[in-house]
Amino acid sequence: MTTNANEYNAGIMQKNGKDFADEFFAEENQVCKESNTVVLVLMKSDEIDAVVEEMLLKNGKAENPTMVVEDRSGYWWIKANGKIEIDVEEAAEMLGKRYSIYDFLVNVSSTIGRAYTLGEKFTITSELMGLDRKLTNV
Amino acid sequence: MALSTATKAATDALSVNRAPTTVGPQEVHKWMQSFNWDFKNNRTKYPTKYHMANDTKEQFKIIAKEYARMESVKDERQFGTLLDGMTRLNAGNRVHPRWGETMKVASNFLEVGEYNAIAAAAMLWDSASSAEQKNGYLAQVLDEIRHTHQCGFVNYYFAKHYHDPAGHNDARRSRAIGPLWKGMKRVFADGFISGDAVECSINLQLVGEACFTNPLIVAITEWAAANGDEVTPTVFLSIETDELRHMANGYQTVVSIANDPAAQKYMNSDLNNAFWTQQKYFTPVLGMLFEYGSKFKVEPWVKTWNRWVYEDWGGIWIGRLGKYGVQSPASLRDAKQDAYWAHHDLALLAYAMWPTGFFRLSLPDAEDMAWFEANYPGWYDHYGKIYEEWKALGCEDPASGFIPLQWMIDKGHDIYIDRVSQVPFCPSLAKCSGSLRVHELNGQKHSFSDEWGERMWLTEPERYECQSVFEQYAGRELSDVIVEGHGVRADGKTLIAQPHVRGDKLWTVDDLKRANCKFADPLDKF
Repeated sequence: MTTNANEYNAGIMQKNGKDFADEFFAEENQVCKESNTVVLVLMKSDEIDAVVEEMLLKNGKAENPTMVVEDRSGYWWIKANGKIEIDVEEAAEMLGKRYSIYDFLVNVSSTIGRAYTLGEKFTITSELMGLDRKLTNV
Repeated sequence: MALSTATKAATDALSVNRAPTTVGPQEVHKWMQSFNWDFKNNRTKYPTKYHMANDTKEQFKIIAKEYARMESVKDERQFGTLLDGMTRLNAGNRVHPRWGETMKVASNFLEVGEYNAIAAAAMLWDSASSAEQKNGYLAQVLDEIRHTHQCGFVNYYFAKHYHDPAGHNDARRSRAIGPLWKGMKRVFADGFISGDAVECSINLQLVGEACFTNPLIVAITEWAAANGDEVTPTVFLSIETDELRHMANGYQTVVSIANDPAAQKYMNSDLNNAFWTQQKYFTPVLGMLFEYGSKFKVEPWVKTWNRWVYEDWGGIWIGRLGKYGVQSPASLRDAKQDAYWAHHDLALLAYAMWPTGFFRLSLPDAEDMAWFEANYPGWYDHYGKIYEEWKALGCEDPASGFIPLQWMIDKGHDIYIDRVSQVPFCPSLAKCSGSLRVHELNGQKHSFSDEWGERMWLTEPERYECQSVFEQYAGRELSDVIVEGHGVRADGKTLIAQPHVRGDKLWTVDDLKRANCKFADPLDKF
């Protein structure tokens, strides 16, 4: 049994057959419920695998213990409460080559949440940028 | 010669603040914002009932130079992988035949969606008044052109390397006879480019891209890989690297209208209509492609739907916007019913009408049936027994002359086409949401399968005039229609569609003619 609610197969997803159906169709699950989480999908590549292993699974998880990283064959599925940040300058240093925020975006496959770049930092946040607060510029 | 006042002023300014020799792309992006202007009246060709504010942002701060470099790197990686390593590995031929057929549908249909999204993004570029938002839409136009090429290339690659190219090579020629084409054009074309510009954005970006591209373009890659297909993940995950900017465009469209009183009046109806329009097609079609078009299953489709549609899109997008007046779609309850059963309903009808397709379908085997029953209790008694009966009657064997469509007609299981979604349904066998409704307008009868589409039709009946395949070919014999609609292979007699994925016992036009199956329009009974 998983303990982190953000795990790929957490909660109802651990159930099967009739047990799954009972919860899926339960009256309280017939409306959308607000979630404070974000999801990031990174397409696997040489650079992204290193970012995941050396940054997200180390400092990233230490800074935000709600973060989970799942290997889904061709991509990494990452979910966390609040936000996920990736400092691409740090990634470039780790990779030992020129690597800009736009190089990083080459392999960012999907985002659920409000994603944006600021300088060399990529952020996906549950905040409503432009509504809750203004989007920042360099 | 004396310096002009302007030149002197510039020279003096530069002597105090030297011009930078390098500038970062995001500084350029910031500088470009000074080119924004305020419209008294937005002179767009594509008006909207909403007022779009002009201070919304492009969240990734893209400029042309970095955009072009980023996209060229994506293409170099994708085509390099496909044309080099994948070809040496014979990747196109390592795909399980069931999945190879699924990709005939997925890549051809997505190509049409991407093509229409070019026009949709261009329309929104014209409608928006914020310069940054226009910048985001303009990049999206270019992205959609790239995606159209990419989907075309998937078909080209499979046509070249996969053992059964028919259907990958020229699917569009059979579009008049394939019932799935028309529904696809409803969501991928009409939904994206017809009507109010912001409503189109809600269809395309807030629902189509932010919600359904995740199962359609991301989750599909897991199913592909599990079934031996490394071609699709290489291309589709690259397509999706542009979609996050499109989702942001959709979000900024919502931000741009958030303070408009019209949003309070129309937003929730438009969102519900868009959600229902998109889910009505994607929910059954994707579920059918994944579960019935694979040998190796990743997880039940209803779980994929629950994760990407209900929990993540519903919670992180719609749920979070609740405090700004955005409500959970009223049709969600019915959509959940569809997520559980509609793909089983559609798979049954698709198999019954298999000659009208441009792909091969296969019956669920014993292993599949056990999996379906374990994950969808009640599946076997409702669907499994019908498949077993069809198999016993020889539906796979061209010598049998048995077409399941004839069985449906003989048993009184009439197949209707929902006028709004163009999705086929059979009221006497369906376990999805809704029920049959029939209306008459100006002497023409219209069938509907649910109240949400019925409401849309009652509001704008002139918008939904597409003929169904049964109206179009009523009274015609099936093989004649297939030949006329280009449903045969290059030899002029073997059908493109087949009711199995084996290499032998392929059905021909003559086999189909022996079945003597005729199209009938069930609406004639009313």
